[in-house]
Amino acid sequence: MKLVLGGYAQGKLDYVLQKYGREACQIYDGEIPEHTEEQGKTVVMNHFHNWVKERMKNGGCPEKEIQLFLNRCQDCVVISDEIGNGIVPMEAFEREYRERTGRILVELAKQAEEVERVICGIGQRIK
Amino acid sequence: MMTLIYGGSGSGKSAFAESYLLSRAEGRRKYYLATMQVYDEEGQRKVERHRRLRKDKGFTTIEQPTEIQNAVLKMAAGEKTALLECIGNLTANEMFSRSGQREEAEVVEEILKGISVLKEELVHLVVVSNNVFEDGRSYEEATMRYIHTMGRLNVELAALADEVIEVVAGIPVTIQAV
Repeated sequence: MKLVLGGYAQGKLDYVLQKYGREACQIYDGEIPEHTEEQGKTVVMNHFHNWVKERMKNGGCPEKEIQLFLNRCQDCVVISDEIGNGIVPMEAFEREYRERTGRILVELAKQAEEVERVICGIGQRIK
Repeated sequence: MMTLIYGGSGSGKSAFAESYLLSRAEGRRKYYLATMQVYDEEGQRKVERHRRLRKDKGFTTIEQPTEIQNAVLKMAAGEKTALLECIGNLTANEMFSRSGQREEAEVVEEILKGISVLKEELVHLVVVSNNVFEDGRSYEEATMRYIHTMGRLNVELAALADEVIEVVAGIPVTIQAV
C-alpha cells in the first residue's frame, strides 16, 4: 500500500495517475471497492478522508474497515487530504472527524511501503 | 539545544515529540510542560489520552497553562530536559482570559521571553507547535488574530530553535536541520 497526502486541490490524483499510469489504475472516489481480485489493476482510493467521514456518519468503524480492506488488497494507493492543519472546529463531529482521520493516516503511514506528500502537484517522498 | 516540532491536529506530533526527547535526554531529568486548561469532558479525555501516551516514559509533569517561564521555578537543580506542549494552547490561554483579550505583540513578546528562559535553563528543550494555517476558512476577528499571532510565533520560535521538524502522518520531515 502506498499513501499519498496533501492539501486540498494539490493535484494528488493527477500525480498518482501520471506516476502509475492511468490505464493501470482503477479509481474509487470516497469508497472502498467490494471486489478487487478480478481487475489486475492498482486500486486507487481517492478522497479517502471523505470515506472516513461517511463511515463515521453511518455508524461504521473506519479504523477496522480500512484494516480489513488492506488485509485483502495490498496493491493499492490511498489518497487523502490533510485536514488537520487548521483551527479546531466548533462542532463536535467535525472535531472527532479531524482527529480520527489524522490518527488513521498515522497508522496507514506506518504500514505503507511508501508515503508521499503532494504540494503544488509535486510529490515529495517522506517515507 | 532547542527543537521546534510542528504539525496539524492528529498528525502524531506529540508521540513523535515524546520519543524524540526520550532519545535525546540521555538519562537526564525529563519534564513535560502541560499547557492545556480543561473545561469539559472532551478536554479531560484528551489530557488522559496524552497521559497514557507518556506513561512509563519517565516524564515529570508540570502544569503551566500561562507564564511558561515559571515552570523553571518548579524544576529540580541539575541537568534537565523538557517537552513543552503546546504553543497553540499557551497562546490561546495568554490571549483570551476572563479579564479580556490581549494584543498580538504583547503575547508574542511574552511567550518568546518565556521560551528563551526555558531554553537557557535546559540542556534540550522540545517545543510543540501547531499548524493552524491551512483550512482555507475565514473566521471572526478574534480567531483571525489568534491565527496571525500563531504565525508570528512560529516564525520567531523557528528562528530561536536549532532545528525545526514537521510531523506528517507520524513521519518527521526536517524543515531546518541543526
